[in-house]
Amino acid sequence: MMIDSTIVRLTMRQLLGQKRTILMLAFALIPVLVALLYRLNGDHVRHDPQEWTATVALARLVVGLVLPFTALVFGTAALGTEFEDGTAVYLLSKPIPRSTIVLSKLLVAWGATVVVVLVSTFPTGFLALSGEPQDGIVVAFAIAAVFGALIYCAAFLWLSIATSRALIAGLLYVFIWEGVVVNLFKGVRLFSVRQYTLGIAGELMSVPKRVFDPRLQGPTAIVLACLVTGVAIWLAFRSLKRWEIGETS
Amino acid sequence: MTEPIAPPIATEPTAPAAIEFDHVSRWYGNIVAVNDISFSLNAGITGLLGPNGAGKSTMLHMLAGFLQPSSGNVRVLGQPAWGNPEMYRRVGLVPERESVYPFLTGYEFVLDSARLHHLANAEEATMKAIRMVELEDAMGRASGGYSKGMKQRIKIAAALVHEPDVLLLDEPFNGADPRQRLHLMDLLREMAANGRTIVFSSHILEEVERLAEDVLVIVSGRLAASGDFREIRKLMTDRPHTFVVRASDNRKLAADLVSDPSVYGVELQGNDLQVRTSEFAAFTRAVAGVARRADVSIFEIRPTDESLESVFSYLVKR
Amino acid sequence: MQQAESRTGSIYDLGYRGYDGLRLGRRHAITSLYWYTLRSAFGIGRRTGSKIMPIAIVIIAFIPAVGQLAIAALVSNVEVYTPSNYFAYIEIPVALFCAAIAPEICGRDMRQRTLSLYFSRALHRRDYALAKLAAFATALTFLTLMPQVVLVIGNGLASKDLWGYIQDNWADLPRTIGSGLLMAAMAACVCLAIASQTPRRAYATIAVVAWFLITWPIAGILTTEIGGAGKLATFISPFEFMHGCTLWIFNGSPTVDSPLEVAGYPLWVYFITVLAYGAAGFAYVVRRFDRIAA
Repeated sequence: MMIDSTIVRLTMRQLLGQKRTILMLAFALIPVLVALLYRLNGDHVRHDPQEWTATVALARLVVGLVLPFTALVFGTAALGTEFEDGTAVYLLSKPIPRSTIVLSKLLVAWGATVVVVLVSTFPTGFLALSGEPQDGIVVAFAIAAVFGALIYCAAFLWLSIATSRALIAGLLYVFIWEGVVVNLFKGVRLFSVRQYTLGIAGELMSVPKRVFDPRLQGPTAIVLACLVTGVAIWLAFRSLKRWEIGETS
Repeated sequence: MTEPIAPPIATEPTAPAAIEFDHVSRWYGNIVAVNDISFSLNAGITGLLGPNGAGKSTMLHMLAGFLQPSSGNVRVLGQPAWGNPEMYRRVGLVPERESVYPFLTGYEFVLDSARLHHLANAEEATMKAIRMVELEDAMGRASGGYSKGMKQRIKIAAALVHEPDVLLLDEPFNGADPRQRLHLMDLLREMAANGRTIVFSSHILEEVERLAEDVLVIVSGRLAASGDFREIRKLMTDRPHTFVVRASDNRKLAADLVSDPSVYGVELQGNDLQVRTSEFAAFTRAVAGVARRADVSIFEIRPTDESLESVFSYLVKR
Repeated sequence: MQQAESRTGSIYDLGYRGYDGLRLGRRHAITSLYWYTLRSAFGIGRRTGSKIMPIAIVIIAFIPAVGQLAIAALVSNVEVYTPSNYFAYIEIPVALFCAAIAPEICGRDMRQRTLSLYFSRALHRRDYALAKLAAFATALTFLTLMPQVVLVIGNGLASKDLWGYIQDNWADLPRTIGSGLLMAAMAACVCLAIASQTPRRAYATIAVVAWFLITWPIAGILTTEIGGAGKLATFISPFEFMHGCTLWIFNGSPTVDSPLEVAGYPLWVYFITVLAYGAAGFAYVVRRFDRIAA
């Protein structure tokens, strides 16, 4: 179970092609802009800066929007474009264990997502909190986002092997399951990657509940995160080993 | 009507066959794409021939390890084809879809293939493969801008770079101009002569006729015939053979030939004499004697429907 | 001996021949394309897999209306959903429908390179664009207005006097129709403009989803949390400005603390916004197909 450097290089060139990267980085800068606007004329009465940074900017915008969306784009494209373009056969007809292919692709998708998300997190956090006590909020979210990126990418990578509609499935999951359903039923937070990420963030910083109160406690979040990541990667191995070429003309 | 039986293809009794299909079937729900096909192949060029939708691609995909047989076994070089990435060390595949990574140059495409095969001397092998397909001029250009034929050739180079023992090609001559086609045929013949097993699929009869030593004719998922197509023709005893003869006196020869028991029809067509016979061997023995007794010189005699086309159309209509 | 009868025989030429008959012409081509697109938007005439999403979304769209009917059957005089706040709900199925179907409307033709087949017929490029837009807008209108019909029936039944209810709420009818048409037309124009950017289904879907679902929380945050220039954000989020337009048509007012209320702009501005977006999308689509390489 290793990483193959050729696959990593190939995937990097594939994923980080001009348009996609620029779009993702532009997208990542949206929270930064919002933070800038907040600094300039924000409503500091309703939320104090710490609370706003943690709950609104970092939790809702970065972890809730930028993270899953970026992971979706990179995670589904890592293998998805290969299947779509027909170059998957090129990779799969080599004496490389399928697990190596999955891990190499996951590494690149994860790395790309992490870069974009960190570009989003740090400026947003520091801008919004400039002059205020840090209490490790930004760093906590950054670390949590790194984990969250791994879980999301692993899950979406698996989805892109298992189905050709991975993108739409992922969108439904992020926006409907994690966005709407989690507010309706209490138990759903156990199945939401966003909640794992927020729980990890909460564990890593020591702030009062009024500032940031994740739905999942830290230890639970960490355990579930590891579990889901492991299962997703294992499923991805399995799906790729059993992958059959589709009906071509 | 006698059932044509495919002559068994001789295999070495000791080593496993290079390619082996053992009662393989593949179905998709109610549709049977490949229906209980068995054969084995060794070194040489074999053409997989059949109408579109007959199951050729399915069979090649199963050989390449990208489709699991619903029943039966597919073995390549003694190992199962499905779920066995190690097999690719000695197997090369040229898929049908003209998919390359558009941002890679031709050279990089083949080089990455060499690296993915963990070749020790990747650059050397890459240059060798590129020279084999005559793409040295274009190898520095991004492969996204290649013509269809060039993409085909670079895919072949990538499949050959690790010098596989078995080479599988899916419709390799699609989009190749006549010169490229001849060059590729020469290349494949050379590789076959060096002991490699080559299987290619095509629905174009001329290509298969010219290149393949053996054919596997697939019709509606079943193996309709296998082997040398001339031998297959001879086995079709329920179909009369037709010969075209040109002699010094066609009409006289015709009259005498009709009296021979192996002949059952003659026809004068322009300068030629068409003879229909139901007994190939008997006729070939008899015709010289008939001509000598009739004091007629034969200038030319040839069978007319030994082409793969006639064999094929017969098999398809069955 | 019999008289030799004169009998005749003929051999008929079954080969290729030209066609000199009536040709149905451009208008027929346009209407055919319109109907075909409309039908395939809902998956009619296509394989079962294409029917799942449209049917699921239609069901989602009708749920509150059917629920209203059920309530009317059990309890009377309870009007849970009015036409006005139903439109607030229907924005979501509209967004889902656009995300699922907009990439298919023109995407299939662009992917499979059949555009050249269309353009080499009696159909002009503009006709193609207009037919597609009209069909998509019609499909969305079905989504926005059909549940309203069921709703009227439901509310009418709830008031125990259907005919009286209709007579009372007559004024609402043009408002409902206007709202539904506006929303459908605008969404159709903009989403087709977005989707016709790329033949790849995945990217088109993401782009449409982004327009609806990413602008929403951003607009929410910018308006309520930040204020000032941030209030302009209500103009970038279709959920917000569509809702604002509906409110204006029905003479309503936004809920307290919602982004629309905090932004504080007069509601007719949102009506202009809807028109502007629709016009821009329309112009873009027409221009796109004028210029696309086929």
